[in-house]
Amino acid sequence: MKNYAIVGASAAGLSCAKTLRALDADSEIHLFTDEDYLPYSRPIISYYLKSKVEKDKIYLRDEAFYKENRISVHLHTKIAKIDGKTLVAENGERFSFDKVLLATGSVPFVPPMENVGTQENVFTFLTMGESERLKDYAKPHMHAVVIGAGLIGLKAAEGLRPLVSSVTVVELANKVLPSILDDEAAPTVQAHLNANGVETLLGDTVTKAHGDEKITAVTLKSGKTLPCDLLVLAVGVRPNTALAESAGAEVSRGITVNRETMETTVPDIFAAGDCVRSFDILDGQEKIIALWPNAVREGKTAAHYMAGVPAPDTGSFAVNAIDFFGFRICTCGLINCDGAQILTRKTETSYKRLLIKDGCLVGFVLLNCSARAGIYTGLIQKKVPLSSLRGDILETPELMLFSKAVRTEKLTGGVRV
Amino acid sequence: MKKVIAREELCLNCKLCEVYCRTAHSVSKDVVRAHVKENPVPVSRITVEGDNLDSVAVNCRHCDDPACVAACITGAMQKDPETGIVSCDESRCIGCMTCLAVCPVGCIKTGKAAVKCDLCQETGEPACVKNCPNRALVYVEVGGDGE
Repeated sequence: MKNYAIVGASAAGLSCAKTLRALDADSEIHLFTDEDYLPYSRPIISYYLKSKVEKDKIYLRDEAFYKENRISVHLHTKIAKIDGKTLVAENGERFSFDKVLLATGSVPFVPPMENVGTQENVFTFLTMGESERLKDYAKPHMHAVVIGAGLIGLKAAEGLRPLVSSVTVVELANKVLPSILDDEAAPTVQAHLNANGVETLLGDTVTKAHGDEKITAVTLKSGKTLPCDLLVLAVGVRPNTALAESAGAEVSRGITVNRETMETTVPDIFAAGDCVRSFDILDGQEKIIALWPNAVREGKTAAHYMAGVPAPDTGSFAVNAIDFFGFRICTCGLINCDGAQILTRKTETSYKRLLIKDGCLVGFVLLNCSARAGIYTGLIQKKVPLSSLRGDILETPELMLFSKAVRTEKLTGGVRV
Repeated sequence: MKKVIAREELCLNCKLCEVYCRTAHSVSKDVVRAHVKENPVPVSRITVEGDNLDSVAVNCRHCDDPACVAACITGAMQKDPETGIVSCDESRCIGCMTCLAVCPVGCIKTGKAAVKCDLCQETGEPACVKNCPNRALVYVEVGGDGE
């Protein structure tokens, strides 16, 4: 019987715990979180902010799940360091382990800005706690400024929009969602945000805040000054690697892991999710892939090797779906790639961009045309030669793209009737 | 578990499966009202792909290890350990459609919440199978997860 520990109770942590229990019926599984909530959906916090989701609906699994699966959840337990085979909590409590998963996620990255610190109206937007604080604080007369037009910043802006008088997003890059959108897609999304009352200022950032206990205004790099009753910092995130470092594991931006097993450079210490440097199967690069499905996949893989069972081979790649004010964005794989062929199709209301390299699909951006996108994702993941398909790849994908034998296998799983 | 299996060589592209799926998931449960009167028009969870030469009906495979469940960012999409049925809890679904972005057969549809085949749990026999005129759809035990 082993004693498994998991630090961090979001996508990777919960996925690891579930998988461990499926693979190992007897061992102890301890899940540690420094938050006050059972594992909840981090992306749901913006829906909570705009009151689309009730507070009791944020949880990934109900309380009974942890009982049934004998997963001990240690709430409000911040693990401060790893000492050999022992986790040491901030309050001094010690927990020994045989194998541990670090699923510590990200921490907000805050660039130096004059007079931006711990004022009561400065927020980040990564946790339910911050979303609750923001919801309590926001009032209809307020002007909100969000720094950063990434996924987190824009979701904060969307959630805040109905609560305050104005929302302005300031982004240093020259487009919104710079990490997932190409240059042609981004302005379309931006126009939709603007039409829904979210102002965007690109190529600019906050350099200075005014006010003592509370920020009252911010000055931008361009010299412009905006009134500001609440400031959301969503410039970006950094992998949360402190715990790995305390254990002596190699960290280089993200935690270094064996790309097959997710084990760190310290034996019996594994890591998964936003805190690790993943190996992208599409371009062979090591990078941070801070997206939910990837974290789930890595947590599951780690669990297999923690339990000593080889995992099914599934590599990392980016896939993301999100909407802003009803505008659907679905992206997968690479946005740009040297030597790739780019196919686009644009209508008045939609945009599709496919990236093809060495005869295979390696990435897509779909704006308001995500029907059956999973078929594209499958082509990317399995590196299916497009020459084996029939029909126009730019049309809405369908199983009819495949030969009869392949689609029958996909539909019946080999069952003959 | 029992699943809906499509026999492509028997499919006539008549799309009656879609008609009866919409009806089964309508408010009125009446075939005419569901298509003419209801607003919003109910969404069919099964789709006939192809043309009059080659066609096949596609709906959820209720996979043993469903990609949609793994990718779901809210926990709304789950596979019932007892029945094996993959279903979406609409009260927790935020309609982000990450499930759709990873479904290998492309069977999840967009709505306020993700829309997908529930194998007509309430009635016990999928409406698509019941109303397929030439038995291109059958509901059979295929093994795998779930009873």
